[in-house]
Amino acid sequence: MTAGVLLRQIGREARGARGRATFFILCLAVGVGAVVAVAGFSASLRATLARESRQLLAADLRVRGQQPVPAAVDELLASEAAARDVRSTRLTELVTVAAAPKETPGAGRSQLVELKAVDGEFPFYGTLKLAPQRPLAELLADGGAVAGPELFTRLELRVGDPIAIGGKLFTLRGTVLAEPDRLGNAFALGPRLFLSGDSLRSTGLVALGSRVTHRLLVKLPEGTTAETTEAFAARLRGALSDPAFYRIETAAEGQPELRRGVDRTERFLGLVALLSLVVGGVGVAQTVRAWLASRLDSIAIFKALGARPREILAIYLGQIVLLATAGSLAGVALGLALERLVPSLAGTLLPVLPELELQPLALLRGLGLGLGISLLFALPPLFAALAVPAARVLRREIEPLPPSRWALAGITLALLVGLTAIAGTQARSLVWGAAFTGGLALTAAVLALGARGLILGVRRLPRLRLPLPLRYGLAALGRPGAPTVASVVALGLGAMVVVGMRTVEHGLTTRLRGDLPANAPTAFLIDIQPDQWAAVRAEIDRAGATSVDSVPLVMARLAEIDGAPIAALAAVREKEHAAAAKQNDDADEGRGQRGRWALTREQRLTFLDRLPADNTLVAGRLWANPEVAEVSVEEEYARDLGLKLGSKIVFDVQGVPVPLTVTSLRKVRWESFGINFFWVIEPGVLDRAPQMRIASVRLPVGGEQRLQDALAATFPNVTVFAIREVLEKVSAVLERIALGVRFLGGFTVLAGLAILAGAVAAGAAQRGREAALGKALGMTRMQVAALFATESAIVGLLAGAIGSIAGTALAAIVLEKGMDIAFRLEIVPPLVAIGLAGLLAAGAGLAASLRPLAQRPIEALRAS
Amino acid sequence: MNPTTPAIPAIELRRLTKRLPSGDRILTILDAVDLAIAPGEFVAVLGPSGSGKSTLLGLAAGLDRPTSGEVLIDGAPIQDLSEDALARLRRRKIGFVFQSFQLLSNMTALENVLLPLELGGQERPLERARSFLERVGLGERGHHYPAQLSGGEQQRVALARAFAPRPEILFADEPTGNLDGATGARILDVLDELRAGVAATLVLVTHDPSIAERADRRIFLRDGRVERVESNPVRR
Repeated sequence: MTAGVLLRQIGREARGARGRATFFILCLAVGVGAVVAVAGFSASLRATLARESRQLLAADLRVRGQQPVPAAVDELLASEAAARDVRSTRLTELVTVAAAPKETPGAGRSQLVELKAVDGEFPFYGTLKLAPQRPLAELLADGGAVAGPELFTRLELRVGDPIAIGGKLFTLRGTVLAEPDRLGNAFALGPRLFLSGDSLRSTGLVALGSRVTHRLLVKLPEGTTAETTEAFAARLRGALSDPAFYRIETAAEGQPELRRGVDRTERFLGLVALLSLVVGGVGVAQTVRAWLASRLDSIAIFKALGARPREILAIYLGQIVLLATAGSLAGVALGLALERLVPSLAGTLLPVLPELELQPLALLRGLGLGLGISLLFALPPLFAALAVPAARVLRREIEPLPPSRWALAGITLALLVGLTAIAGTQARSLVWGAAFTGGLALTAAVLALGARGLILGVRRLPRLRLPLPLRYGLAALGRPGAPTVASVVALGLGAMVVVGMRTVEHGLTTRLRGDLPANAPTAFLIDIQPDQWAAVRAEIDRAGATSVDSVPLVMARLAEIDGAPIAALAAVREKEHAAAAKQNDDADEGRGQRGRWALTREQRLTFLDRLPADNTLVAGRLWANPEVAEVSVEEEYARDLGLKLGSKIVFDVQGVPVPLTVTSLRKVRWESFGINFFWVIEPGVLDRAPQMRIASVRLPVGGEQRLQDALAATFPNVTVFAIREVLEKVSAVLERIALGVRFLGGFTVLAGLAILAGAVAAGAAQRGREAALGKALGMTRMQVAALFATESAIVGLLAGAIGSIAGTALAAIVLEKGMDIAFRLEIVPPLVAIGLAGLLAAGAGLAASLRPLAQRPIEALRAS
Repeated sequence: MNPTTPAIPAIELRRLTKRLPSGDRILTILDAVDLAIAPGEFVAVLGPSGSGKSTLLGLAAGLDRPTSGEVLIDGAPIQDLSEDALARLRRRKIGFVFQSFQLLSNMTALENVLLPLELGGQERPLERARSFLERVGLGERGHHYPAQLSGGEQQRVALARAFAPRPEILFADEPTGNLDGATGARILDVLDELRAGVAATLVLVTHDPSIAERADRRIFLRDGRVERVESNPVRR
């Protein structure tokens, strides 16, 4: 057969298959759309991060630490600046309290703010949108302040009004509308407030504050290459006396951590999207099987006329490739449209709003995966159909030979390997691909078994006395050759994702939002000076606190562990982290990062006689060794640091080395919300170290704000964190994430519906006959439609039920085993899911039955 | 015409015409057929294939719409009724038996018989369905699915289904066409027995003259026209 003949044959065979083609394309487009939307959006996001990384840093290079950047760096910068155009700015950031002063309308009100104090020019890159749009330095000069619009609203202030921060008054000179380097503000604890560095220093907040971040922004001359920037970063690192405690970021790196975050999110969401594509693949297999069943005669005739098997294969494969291309292209178009929905779905979760642009790789990925999945799922029915003997031209009853056991095993293996490869590309990790395929195969098998069992059970129900549509629908479950199990599994997978996600989300947010444990504190007070404590305590009592707990807090850095300096240990962890990141190994990467963070963070220490009630010793004994100064470490934190009983550590407490020995390990019940520390030190060791107090209080509803307002006047350095407000923020973020996953999971439901509709449409001939017969027997069109709708609805209800059960079970495992959260069965979401699945399925079934419904009865009856 | 024909025929066809487009030509399948069938009469419609027998039956039963002309059931024209009105008319008055049985494959024999009884809102449908299955000799097979029954048995279920609602008119389209001689004869006997019980008008399409022998009247169609009409001298 020449190529021309082949193409003509492909064209001829495509005739009259429009209905089937529609479902083929539909099944595929839904999944490809989801894949392309995820890949395209993440690619745009990554591109934006890379392109705008200077704007996102607001500089070419940024140094970040919990301590001020040492003076040695200033010398380096000054000598640089003499030679070429190098400029630098210091930023100091902390969370503190702003209050409306006495003479203003909002007098007595206070609000947490994220304060950013600027020494120098800001920003070097990107735009800081201000109203009025004047240079920031000009607005901040002479005690000026600029704040986010929410602060004006909450404190009832206007531009020109005074504002109290840290016990000093400043003048509000403008509103800040957008900052280049404030990435995603989902976790912001309050509105932004800008002051000048001098203004901040005049308050004394920095000296007292326990949670300050220092940044140094550096602008290099225009045209500096990435290599020069890196070299400069290295020199900067050399000038830092304790570089392990600082992070140096360059614009050239292009926000590596953010990009890794995007990668990880894309991997997870990409697999959820792939699930809908795989379900679509099942639909493709079904459509191809139904189509080929009607082509068996043609195939036999081709064979009888002397066409070779591979020529026949080429004809039908050509059809499939044509349809798969059409479906994938439709999916790409859908994906491009879906991308535009992402920003409104993700809201404040996005670090930046990317410019959506055509991402050729994402489109290719969609096309490739669409074609791959189509071929993978179309080949088994194709090979089965090709096995029809030519003798069928003589005797129509001859069916294709059943495949041998070996062939079946081969097909299954090919399917699994192919799917693993596809999932592996999607997740950029073969291990993840295999896990996806294995998990999916297992889940599908369980769902299929469940579906089969349910169908058998339902078919055996005594249905004689049921209303007609119900009886008909139940009877139809057993229709010979009915693809009920496949429909139920496909739709059930979708319902499982949606219900499972919803249940996990609900379990988490209920836990976060639910009643705090009785007697649990409702707020934390930080940065209380020891001499303020008595007065603050009186204020707390006036606010009606029912329980108050307070401990001393000493800030320190780790200096040595078992004789090894922390800088060396941190460097080792850094290398592990980088290696793991390169290999895309999430678990190791996380460990490396956590380890480094644990080593170089500002450590918060307390000293106590006895452990709080929510602490349990798991190793060693408390304060039992009079020979050494003892420390008790939280068990998991000790693991991250590599500490054991007997480990010798040295803390640097404001320049004074404090050697300690680990003599006990503790388990902490963090969910009690009590004040807890990784480190608890034996009393006596730190008594004279510079310290602050931290308190936890349980207040009546609304008491947190009243306490903050009351303290703002007299103790402006004391910050009140309302636990409920923080938990509310975390819950809102979780809900956003879950919404996104559910939205994507919805595509699996859509693919499932397309399969159901395709299955219904594939039975159109029989359906037409039944519709005609029903009409001949005196059924109105409504009655016939009700029969068909009920039949599909039952499939939907079964799928919804099985999916809900599986989703709930999975969620229970995730919650109980993975998150240690008690699972509570919720009745409403599964019921809603079941009802919706039934309704949607009824709709899909009806839509696919419109043609047979419209037929004149005589046509169908005569045809048979 | 039969002298006993009363004033209002059960079925009356007036200038009934059906044309269908075929390629770029118009094919005339029925050409101005006039026919009146009296209540309780048994009429056989004969003719070679393509003569318009089945089309005539479909139009008379309201399963299809004529190009022109009228169909009157009990004196009332039906060609302009809506689909649903036709369905309700069939539910009250009309039963069918088809060459290919046309049982619903996913329903048991009993459920198949039950269907029109329930649609017509008849009383005690279950008892009635069971008793008709017994009358066709399948009382013990009610729980079987069509695929589990032989051709003859399936057609007997179809007969029970057609007669159980006591239709005034029964249309039969080659009811023995898919059965062997002996089985076909048995079906016709059952048909006769059941019809005797309800005194229904019967219109039976066949190309088998020996079956037509049993009818009161035989209408011969050719090329869409009534070629001749024979009355059976032997009235039962």
